[in-house]
Amino acid sequence: MDEFQEILQDFLVEAFELVEKLDEDLVELESTPEDLELLNGIFRVAHTIKGASSFLNFDVLTHLTHHMEDVLNKARHGELIITPDVMDVVLESIDLMKSLLSIIRDTSSDAGVDVSECVVRLDKISGGDGDVPTPVASAPIIEATLDEPEEAKEEEDEPDYDNMSDDDVEAEIQRLLEQRQEEDKAKRAAKVAAGEEVLAPPPDPDEEAPSEPAKASKPEKKPEPKAEPIKAPVPRASTKAKSMNDDEGLDAKAAAPAKRTNNTVDQTIRVDVKRLDHLMNLIGELVLAKNRLIKINDDVEERYEGEEFLEELNQVVSIVSLVTTDLQIAVMKTRMLPIGKVFNKFPRMIRDLSRELNKKIELTIKGEETELDKSIVEEIGDPLVHIIRNSCDHGIETPEVRLANGKNETGTISLKAYNEGNQIVIQIDDDGKGLNAEILKSKALEKGLISEKEADNMGEKEAFMLIMKPGFSMAAAVTNVSGRGVGMDVVKTNIEKVNGIIDIESETGIGSSVKLKIPLTLAIIQALLVGVQEEAYAIPLSSVLETVRISKDEIYTVESRSVMRLRDDVLSLVHIGDIFEVERILDSSEHAYVVVLGLGAQKLGLIVDSLVGQEEIVIKSLGEYLKGIEGIAGATIRGDGGVTLIVDVVALMDIAKNVKATSMISDQKSESAQSREKTKASDYTIMIVDDSKTDRMIMRKSLEATGMSLVEATDGQEALNILKQGDHHFDAMLIDIEMPRMDGYTLATEIKKYNRYKTMPLIAVTSRTGKSDRMRGVESGMVEYITKPYSADYLSSVVQRNVNFKSEFLS
Amino acid sequence: MSDKLKQVLSKQSKQQQNESIDQSDDIVQLVGFIIGEEEYAIPILSIQEIIKPFTWTRVPQVPKYVMGVFNLRGAVIPLIDLRLKFGLSEKKHSDETRFIVMKDRDDVAGFVIDRLTMAIRIKKGNIGPAPDTVNGDNTMIDGVGKQEDKIITILKVNKLLERDF
Repeated sequence: MDEFQEILQDFLVEAFELVEKLDEDLVELESTPEDLELLNGIFRVAHTIKGASSFLNFDVLTHLTHHMEDVLNKARHGELIITPDVMDVVLESIDLMKSLLSIIRDTSSDAGVDVSECVVRLDKISGGDGDVPTPVASAPIIEATLDEPEEAKEEEDEPDYDNMSDDDVEAEIQRLLEQRQEEDKAKRAAKVAAGEEVLAPPPDPDEEAPSEPAKASKPEKKPEPKAEPIKAPVPRASTKAKSMNDDEGLDAKAAAPAKRTNNTVDQTIRVDVKRLDHLMNLIGELVLAKNRLIKINDDVEERYEGEEFLEELNQVVSIVSLVTTDLQIAVMKTRMLPIGKVFNKFPRMIRDLSRELNKKIELTIKGEETELDKSIVEEIGDPLVHIIRNSCDHGIETPEVRLANGKNETGTISLKAYNEGNQIVIQIDDDGKGLNAEILKSKALEKGLISEKEADNMGEKEAFMLIMKPGFSMAAAVTNVSGRGVGMDVVKTNIEKVNGIIDIESETGIGSSVKLKIPLTLAIIQALLVGVQEEAYAIPLSSVLETVRISKDEIYTVESRSVMRLRDDVLSLVHIGDIFEVERILDSSEHAYVVVLGLGAQKLGLIVDSLVGQEEIVIKSLGEYLKGIEGIAGATIRGDGGVTLIVDVVALMDIAKNVKATSMISDQKSESAQSREKTKASDYTIMIVDDSKTDRMIMRKSLEATGMSLVEATDGQEALNILKQGDHHFDAMLIDIEMPRMDGYTLATEIKKYNRYKTMPLIAVTSRTGKSDRMRGVESGMVEYITKPYSADYLSSVVQRNVNFKSEFLS
Repeated sequence: MSDKLKQVLSKQSKQQQNESIDQSDDIVQLVGFIIGEEEYAIPILSIQEIIKPFTWTRVPQVPKYVMGVFNLRGAVIPLIDLRLKFGLSEKKHSDETRFIVMKDRDDVAGFVIDRLTMAIRIKKGNIGPAPDTVNGDNTMIDGVGKQEDKIITILKVNKLLERDF
């Protein structure tokens, strides 16, 4: 069973590829019906599929392809001219083939699709009456005509019976081939489980018609050269050798698609996408580990400056990071597919559409070799379909209108793909009537999608983007092609899903151009890390235009929105803290940074407290439970193991519209009022920060008499953590200067950053008596300076004075 | 003699087998924990791991009981405070606070609980249905386990892991 499945899988993969190509070639053929080379190519493909499907006993498919092949064969010999009507039927049969293949993929059998009607039509075209198909031309002929189409033709006109001896040789070759095939078949039969029907001799099909095609690909071959010696190949040894080679290749293909015995073998292997996905995930983990390593390296560097081993460590770290990056690129490349995979279906679509809409449209494709990540290629198919349909329906005018406007009767849609930085740009241009901003606006107003005020403030580009709004449609009536107002919305959603950007340009009467800018890959991106209060957020670097440092008085309020001047423009501003509900604990400084975000034509300034830096981040999903949080695209794990949220710039732009002027000066929450009425001595809380246990003991003893509550910390870091927890409300702190981890000066500076501790008295208790030490103490916000040694009474009185200790509490 | 012995032995072993089957059928293993004043329990099999608290990242625009996300060996996992979820007041994490990482098929989340009690083996027969006052299908309570000296509320893990905002 497995063996059969394997063959079947290979067959399907190949068949789908071939059919895809068939579609494309046929449309091309319609415009150049004389192209014999192309026609032969098409015939070969059809034949290959027929051969393989008959081998696998897909009778319906064989039946269909057989008749299609007939038509093509006639056309090939000039007995039939391919008119659009003929092409319609052929294309219809291709569609049937596609659905048959899908059914085979899903059910492993080709039942369930009625092909008889199409077959009858095909048969009629090829001159039959619909039920007695003539024997099919077989492989040798194709090859002959392929190799020497011209000569073969000549021979048809002038039969050369002198070649009989060569025919004998040919027959011998056929016999050998036949033998080989039989052997091949036998081998396969041996491999496949005995019960498998696959390799049973072709059973008699249900109808009379398919009885031929079922056998066609193999048994026919032998009698053919004898029966029609006229068509035998040219008598030249070299040619024969060649044709034999080709024959073999083709037959092998037909018999078992798994065996691709091309002479110029492509050095490729097929790999399950799951394995690549897994590989990509592993690389993601590696990138995270690398980031972590770099961070640790930085820390170590700071701590052991000048040590010798540092250099070695540095080297290793940079090699690891270099290799990781290379590895990442290499793996990314394995996942790349040429965008042509998507583009290929459009010639056919344009053809169908232009016939349906009675317009003349030509499609030009450029850059189909441009490569994109597989997951993105899958995602952009639908959007492109919608954009192109839109261009055909709304963009390109009818031939009459075009002529009246002095344009070429035939409209052109051009599809281009190219690299731009680390983005791929897909550009869809048409030379139709273009978009009219005013009409778009009034239409959107009419449908209630925007308010009048919004319409007034709208620039041209923003107006163009209206066509992406759900429910927006310019079509007067719903047609088969468009008008439901969903298509372009799909474009927006899908493109945004892959972090892409849409840019529309248009000139009335000249045409319009839609640009889709898409990142090369999804999983790993460059991000700008920004800080707000104690939190950090990652902004995809692709949406960052620039960063500016501003002082607070550069921010103006216009109509309750914050704005600033950026060179000649007015940039609307929003504070990241307002969007993500960040609590303002730290006092914001006089200066702020503005990250200018750009998305198509839209611009927004995002105010942040600090810029942390640029980092390569791996996007992780927040999971089912937290999905759909506005403004958050996902999360990433940082070098220190913490989680950082990734900003969804698209959503952010939307949210920003509804955020009122940012209160840069955080309202002084009457935190000080919390220094509630003191009713007893223990309401006063003092923190003692000293690394020496003895010193803490001395201070504790000095203050215990007053009855105040005392909390101890062994260093600055611990003291800060206690403050952050907010379990106590401290009235004053006694701080030693020399401490491990964080010294007294740093601690004082840190404490002063917090609004609620701004007014808390900090008292330095130290043995450092130098003037410069005292100065530093004052600079960092200490109010008193007690030098060790001191008397208990002195310490106590200083503390009492600073916390306004009421003397009546002294017992 | 030896035949008899064999018979007896086989009989015994059969009995034992039956017993063990009975045991696994009848007994549910739970892990008990305290939130506020009450003891709750969840099936031991739905627990991925129990860890000591560590840092997490706040996530905006979620109910207060969703504390944020944390990094569990490379996976980003939501953290939910059960005290807040059950309408109790916020409490500082203490030495006894734990994160219980629960899973139900693909859904995983960490839950903050006040303290662990113990692993409980309880007979199915001793588990009663959730009291009628708890309304319908929407309840987070799977049942009530009766033990000699107390009753334990057994929670539905799939309900806990369900997003309800």
